[in-house]
Amino acid sequence: MKPERESTALTPSEELAHLRLLHLADSALPIGSLAHSFGLETLVSAELLRAGDLGEFLHGYLQEMGMLEVVACREAFHLAHLGGEAFLAARWIEINDCLSALKPAHESRVASAALGRNFLHVAMGLGDFHGLREAREASLGCGSLIHQSAAFGLVSGALGFEEMRAVLAYLHQMSACLISACQRLMPLGQTEAARILWNLKPAMMEVAAGSTSLTLETVSCTMPLLDWGAMEHPALATRLFIS
Amino acid sequence: MAATAREAFREAREIPGSCRARALLRLNFSRDPASGNTVLADSFQEAPLKVVRAFTLEEGTALAHLHNVSGGLLGGDRLAMRVNLARGAKVQLTTTGATRIYRSREGFSSTTQSSEVSVGEGALLEYLPDATIPFAGARYTQQTSIELAADAGLFWWEIVAPGRQARGELFDYEEFAMRTHVSALGRRIAAENLCLRPKRGKVSSLARLGPYHYAATFYICRVGLEVSRWRDAEDKIRELTTGMTRRGEILWGVSSLVAHGLVVRCLARNGPEVLPGLQAIWRNAKRRLYDREAIPPRKMN
Repeated sequence: MKPERESTALTPSEELAHLRLLHLADSALPIGSLAHSFGLETLVSAELLRAGDLGEFLHGYLQEMGMLEVVACREAFHLAHLGGEAFLAARWIEINDCLSALKPAHESRVASAALGRNFLHVAMGLGDFHGLREAREASLGCGSLIHQSAAFGLVSGALGFEEMRAVLAYLHQMSACLISACQRLMPLGQTEAARILWNLKPAMMEVAAGSTSLTLETVSCTMPLLDWGAMEHPALATRLFIS
Repeated sequence: MAATAREAFREAREIPGSCRARALLRLNFSRDPASGNTVLADSFQEAPLKVVRAFTLEEGTALAHLHNVSGGLLGGDRLAMRVNLARGAKVQLTTTGATRIYRSREGFSSTTQSSEVSVGEGALLEYLPDATIPFAGARYTQQTSIELAADAGLFWWEIVAPGRQARGELFDYEEFAMRTHVSALGRRIAAENLCLRPKRGKVSSLARLGPYHYAATFYICRVGLEVSRWRDAEDKIRELTTGMTRRGEILWGVSSLVAHGLVVRCLARNGPEVLPGLQAIWRNAKRRLYDREAIPPRKMN
């Protein structure tokens, strides 16, 4: 007779939350993420980044930019659980302004903001969730940008997702979008792309775990070469991506 | 900011943590209404930080050389600098040579240097230091906060070397952290939270410096300038940086900040070309933003 296993079945509401998270974190969600490379196109064009380097590059990317975005995602996630519209608005704007200042390249900053704005718009079209309308109006009211990681965190908090799952889903979405961009920029087949994304999962878990003790004031992000790539992207003679 | 030397002395004593040397350098510059020249109106200095005097340049700008009389930053040093430019003041600050960060000995905390800078209405600060060189075993944290008032201007660069490259020392330090925040009219317009720990994360990863060894950042700001003038300045500086870029040797990039300015990034295999490149961009930008020539600070190197 087999020993009885402890039940790990999800409740219907947990199953629903899980399905919703899968939907929102799908890289095919129509928010425009396929139009941006965030400077990768310049690195490929300059023959700095090749298919064989991609796994290591994305590992470093997760440790630097991934960590920064996830810290912002978590801070916005917690806002959804706080009461008081005035406080939510002030801190929401602060998180997004901080991210804007930390993104030195105009194109990457605007790309992140386009995705964030679109993501929030899509989420608001799916239901009336606490805090989303207020956050958007606060940002519009003072000309502040809405970054993708912050929008993802806020929506995840408002929809009651489990925090760590939301953070991991965000990292997965981010990595999948970058790999998808690379498939169009370099000779990278479906199987190899899937293998790279598969192998990045331990790094995503490391970043998600490491982000719990950090804030936007203490997290670091050191990517000067990609910053250069994003700054010089407008000067490329031919471009496949907006950023 | 401390109003008296006694208060400034207390500020320096209050820099927290167990450490080797604590020092505060406070410099207050103001514009003399009679002559129009900027003068070092008030200062408080503790060794090893020192400014001998401020020299008056042709256009009434005050030039001050920042000395570290101990020859560099030693493990556990905690140094603080407070610089205040009153309305209309024009100041050039430079170093007398590269800032050397020596090895941190066991038992000493990280070497830290913090700077708080306030640039008043219509004032201009040009901060043009030599490179910072973290030696093998160094642990260093630098924190800089810059606040710009209406029509305030800023030319501020930082150059980070990989170590003593001439003796083959590349990224042999323990930790190098540099946090810079620039605000204009109370709103953050630029921030950099850089941290390199070569023994924990590969510096030569393409996600970080790739094949390059030196990194430089140059902030060019003037609060309130029209967006069209920034676009024009960015285009012209891009022409310059494109001409200076030699792939595999040195890369230059420029982009607009959230508001009120531009940022230039440089990555280089070797150090000698970085400073002349920054000076070329500075000359170009100063002509465009102030219709004046940039005068490189005189110093003995």
